[in-house]
Amino acid sequence: MAQELLALGLAALLQAVQFLLMAVPANRELGPGYTMSARDRPPSREPSVFTQRMRRAMDNHFEGLILFTIAVVVVVQGGQSSALTAGAAWVYLIARVAYIPAYAFGWRPGRSLIWVVGFAATLLMILAALIQGLV
Amino acid sequence: MPSELSILVLYGLWVMLVILMPVLMAMPQLGLGYLVSPRDEQRRLHGRAARMERALANSVVAMALFAPAVLIVFVSASSSTGTLIAANLFLLARVAYVAVYVAGIAWLRTLLWVTGLLCTAYIYIAAL
Repeated sequence: MAQELLALGLAALLQAVQFLLMAVPANRELGPGYTMSARDRPPSREPSVFTQRMRRAMDNHFEGLILFTIAVVVVVQGGQSSALTAGAAWVYLIARVAYIPAYAFGWRPGRSLIWVVGFAATLLMILAALIQGLV
Repeated sequence: MPSELSILVLYGLWVMLVILMPVLMAMPQLGLGYLVSPRDEQRRLHGRAARMERALANSVVAMALFAPAVLIVFVSASSSTGTLIAANLFLLARVAYVAVYVAGIAWLRTLLWVTGLLCTAYIYIAAL
């Protein structure tokens, strides 16, 4: 399996972990009675700062993951996989893992810088596939 | 005409640009200090920056639906003139959508949104 595809599979698993990091404390704090309801009203208690941060981290990764999927597919299908694109894929995964503690502990500007690393790695993969495809 | 997959890549690059736009537009309103913070207190954007943020949220949903459609066409090798036109039209409509959203043109924005959705639906149906 291409390294990029392996990183993509792990990134998808990471999103499942991120869901649990948000959902488990949310259920403990708000109660399953609320979380399983249709949530027509806002919860009577605010979720903790940690839970809210984990929700924002998860929401952010949805965007990143869709773009990373496109990057991986275009690299792998075009046979444009190289040490550069494989390295970028692993950098993406590491950055997205690091983004979780960065959000949880409120690192600043670390969180934003880590986000930029993941974003840049995705962009690099797409551009590498496009440029190698043209050359 | 660019292939469906090329269109998907171009749309991905476009969305990356649309991700950066609200951040740049938010800086004067919220300040870089807030943007790099964990944003525990919710600050709302207003004006064009807020429109850009809503346009981004909509663009991401469109991308999540468009990407599987294109991948299905690609993997099943069921590309046709129809799917090619639909993919190209999708990109045009979605790029125009963001511009029209920020400009605040009612009806046309909705028309462009519907166009993008129908193009995506057509590709799924064509792949069946």
